[in-house]
Amino acid sequence: MNEFYEKLKKATVGIAGLGGLGSTVAVALARTAIGNLVIADFDTVEKSNLNRQHYFINQLGEYKTDAMIENLKQINPEVKVEGYKQKLTAENIPEVFADADIIAECFDRADQKKMLVETVLTKMERVVVVTVSGLAGYGRSNEIVTRRISNRLVVIGDGNSGTDLNLPLTAGRVWLAASHQANAIVEILVDEIIK
Amino acid sequence: MNVLKINDTEKKFESDLPATLDRLLEQLNVNAETVVAEVDGRIIERSEFDKTKLHSGQTIELIRFVPGG
Repeated sequence: MNEFYEKLKKATVGIAGLGGLGSTVAVALARTAIGNLVIADFDTVEKSNLNRQHYFINQLGEYKTDAMIENLKQINPEVKVEGYKQKLTAENIPEVFADADIIAECFDRADQKKMLVETVLTKMERVVVVTVSGLAGYGRSNEIVTRRISNRLVVIGDGNSGTDLNLPLTAGRVWLAASHQANAIVEILVDEIIK
Repeated sequence: MNVLKINDTEKKFESDLPATLDRLLEQLNVNAETVVAEVDGRIIERSEFDKTKLHSGQTIELIRFVPGG
């Protein structure tokens, strides 16, 4: 048991995007006592986010990065959190997440998801990326799956349910996917990444 | 008979294979802007899609991204 928490304490996880996926992954990993988180988002908290994202009414208008740092402090002050407010690009991702063992892809747009995964796999050695495709809608819980594509790539989701199909984003289904992400991250940190 | 293994499923081609990865995506109706491609375990960058020649027996993984997060 001690070894489990020791490994997590030494780990650094990058979270790219702090919406429904990213805010949930951040909360789950802070509660699991991951040692270091690097969180990045350029957006501010809006009312429409509150149906599934881990922010509060009094945080409307704040940068998501700042709001999440506050919230994580309330949950587990032991976790070191670094926040970035610039837009993530193929050029700055290797720098922003230079210390990360694993990166959670938590973007909304499909082209941004692809950009991040491609950047990590081609420009960052050894770093694992845990990405999501297909989480919109409601019900169909068991269609959300975790697939290990290769050593460095994990893909979560049903592969098909996008917001482009006019499906709503609901807390339960978004959190299912985010929980798959957090769970896969802990598994890889503990079982595979030796520090 | 030419065969490509795409996302764990064997796809047989009666005539020639699509010459490049770009052409394959076109045939499959997959938008190259929202897909990550691996050929025989090697990640192919978007800029290399039209230069990546395909051969029978290759294993191709196409990760198609849909919006939502």
